[in-house]
Amino acid sequence: MPRQREGSPFTGLSTIALKEAADHMTSARIHLVLLLILLTAIGAVYAAIGQIKATVSEDQFLFLSLLTTARDPLPSFVAFLGFLLPLVSIALGFDGINGEYNRRTLSRVLAQPIYRDAFLTGKFLGGLLVIAICLLALWLLVTGMGILLLGLPPGGEEVIRGLAFLLASFVYAGVWLAVSLVFSTLFRSPATSALAALALWLIFTIFWSMLAPLIASAFVQIDPYDPVSQLNFIELQRGIARISPQTLYDEMTLGLLNPTTRAFGPVFTSQLKNALMGSPLPLSESLRLVWPQLAGMIAAVVLLFTVAYVSFQRQEIRA
Amino acid sequence: MKFAPGFHIRRHAFIVFVATATVAGAAILPAQAQNADSAAATATAPKGLWLTTPFPEFATQAGKKVDLDVKLVNNGLPPQRVQLAVNDLPDGWKWEIVGDSHDVAAAIAQTGQTVDLKLSVTPPADAAKKDYAFTIAADTGERVLSLPVTLQIAEVKPAELTLKPDLPALRGSAKSAFEFQVKASNDGQADTVVNLLSKAPAGFQVTFKEAYGSQELTSLPLDAGKSKSLKVSVRPPEDVAAGQYPVLIAAAGDEAKATQQLVLDITGQPTLELAGPDGRVSGDATAGKERTFNFTLKNSGTAAAEGIGFSANSPQDWKVTFSPDKIAEIAPGQSEQVAVSITPSTRSIAGDYVVQVRSHGEGVSDNSNFRVTVSTSTIWGVAGLGVIAAAFVVLGFSVSRYGRR
Repeated sequence: MPRQREGSPFTGLSTIALKEAADHMTSARIHLVLLLILLTAIGAVYAAIGQIKATVSEDQFLFLSLLTTARDPLPSFVAFLGFLLPLVSIALGFDGINGEYNRRTLSRVLAQPIYRDAFLTGKFLGGLLVIAICLLALWLLVTGMGILLLGLPPGGEEVIRGLAFLLASFVYAGVWLAVSLVFSTLFRSPATSALAALALWLIFTIFWSMLAPLIASAFVQIDPYDPVSQLNFIELQRGIARISPQTLYDEMTLGLLNPTTRAFGPVFTSQLKNALMGSPLPLSESLRLVWPQLAGMIAAVVLLFTVAYVSFQRQEIRA
Repeated sequence: MKFAPGFHIRRHAFIVFVATATVAGAAILPAQAQNADSAAATATAPKGLWLTTPFPEFATQAGKKVDLDVKLVNNGLPPQRVQLAVNDLPDGWKWEIVGDSHDVAAAIAQTGQTVDLKLSVTPPADAAKKDYAFTIAADTGERVLSLPVTLQIAEVKPAELTLKPDLPALRGSAKSAFEFQVKASNDGQADTVVNLLSKAPAGFQVTFKEAYGSQELTSLPLDAGKSKSLKVSVRPPEDVAAGQYPVLIAAAGDEAKATQQLVLDITGQPTLELAGPDGRVSGDATAGKERTFNFTLKNSGTAAAEGIGFSANSPQDWKVTFSPDKIAEIAPGQSEQVAVSITPSTRSIAGDYVVQVRSHGEGVSDNSNFRVTVSTSTIWGVAGLGVIAAAFVVLGFSVSRYGRR
């Protein structure tokens, strides 16, 4: 039974969080990463606006197509974000704990009346704060560009969908922040934790979609004459693919920014009889559609933080 | 000069002829012989020059120009010039002789030929009603051929109009086109122009057309003794009640008028109108849960709709039930409520679907495309919250285990 200490475990939490955020905001590393994101975002949205202007067809959700429209050779804003947000998070978190340890500042901080709980939570919240500020700025920038260049205000539902997308991006970035925090507590060397986090990022964003069918085929044999086995295979493959936060994020952006999306995964033609294809889903239904993905990612953030927490609490931190 | 042998001289009441013969020299002896041969062969075809007309006594009306066909016949004589004239006509009467559409005063009939002439006589409008005798004279220079003619100025028989339908009564629904074939005839002796009139119940449209044409008519000329076929189209208003409707048609000339009654026997027809709740065509439902919509079925027709049943074309595995599922009868103008319970399949994905609701009675039907927005159940939302809660439980446990170092 661990010794119970007196005082709130959250003493100094806000100090740590704000200091962490301020450190990030002034560090050259974050400036570079944010500049990268900013430039790609502006490029993608500018290209999308050009594409939208060239299209005559009427779109009920013009502002949402601003985020999802791709114009060769640039991918869409959403695709950029899905690819680069993990990079921001990893850059923010990979040396969160072991960096302090190696600089010998950890014991100095903890010599203050601050618990380790507050230190780790403050590190995490500081990173989240930076991400939130970046995303909000990015979203406002995109919306502003849309209003300026398209000359149209966004509709109410578009704003809500955009904010929901912002929340989804925030949670997605949070997952990767938690991942990098876990690695920064597990590995003493910041280089190792950075490489581990980047390796995981590469696996999930690039290779996972190739690995999922391979893993699924190891468990389910496809019989070309048995539709049920094919269906089982697809379901299992999708289940495995959804381990990757990238897949969940892609599905969420699809459901939120493309209101005609009705379901993810296989749909039977019998389910489509008499269905009005192309009619947008009500907002509540779209939110309900992406909620499992969002809930899964929030739970993943909490669990990863727990792993980092347990690992950090059990560490010998005197150096 | 002498009479040719074998010549008959005949005189009837209306045929005047003068036979002349020329002296034949030695050079034309064969011709003489030939004449003798033909005369022997056809004793009924006499030689001579005649002025004839088919109707030497006829009647006409005062002021009306009348034409008389006159023929100048030369049978077996050399061509002769005759001077034409009309004698003994009273003052004020106009006449002219027309041949080949020219005014003529003289004519020459070739041997064996006939000259067709026409005598046009115009009596003055105030000519007394009696017989007038005059003669048409043809002067050959040697003889005068005269054709006495009697013209009677008679009372004018006015135009007499009749309208006769082939089928005076037709039967059909309020939406059918009623077309009556009617023959308008003028049995009198005067030409006339008739106006076509109709009198129909309010809302009925009556149009007159040619029997084989599409032009609408308001009047038409009818010559004496002639008739014309007409087509009378009657279009009843669509909401007219069942029953018999008389339509009077009339043809009115200057003095005469004919009327005829046509009868439309209109049978009623039911019309169903199916409308969604409060006239809306869309509604919400949750997958796997029954939702009831109150549809209104109205009979906007003119006869009772009977034996009405319901059916629905819905997405697969959806359940659509109707309460009541049968309606025996809806009177015209009445409406009935039908509760339509729609249960989307539990496997439905969210979004809009079309459910086609149909009502069908005897000979009538209507359908309504009802748009159902399906929401999925909230179970997954609760499950998501459960997952998050479980994650926090794990966090809480680890905090209580390792917290506050």
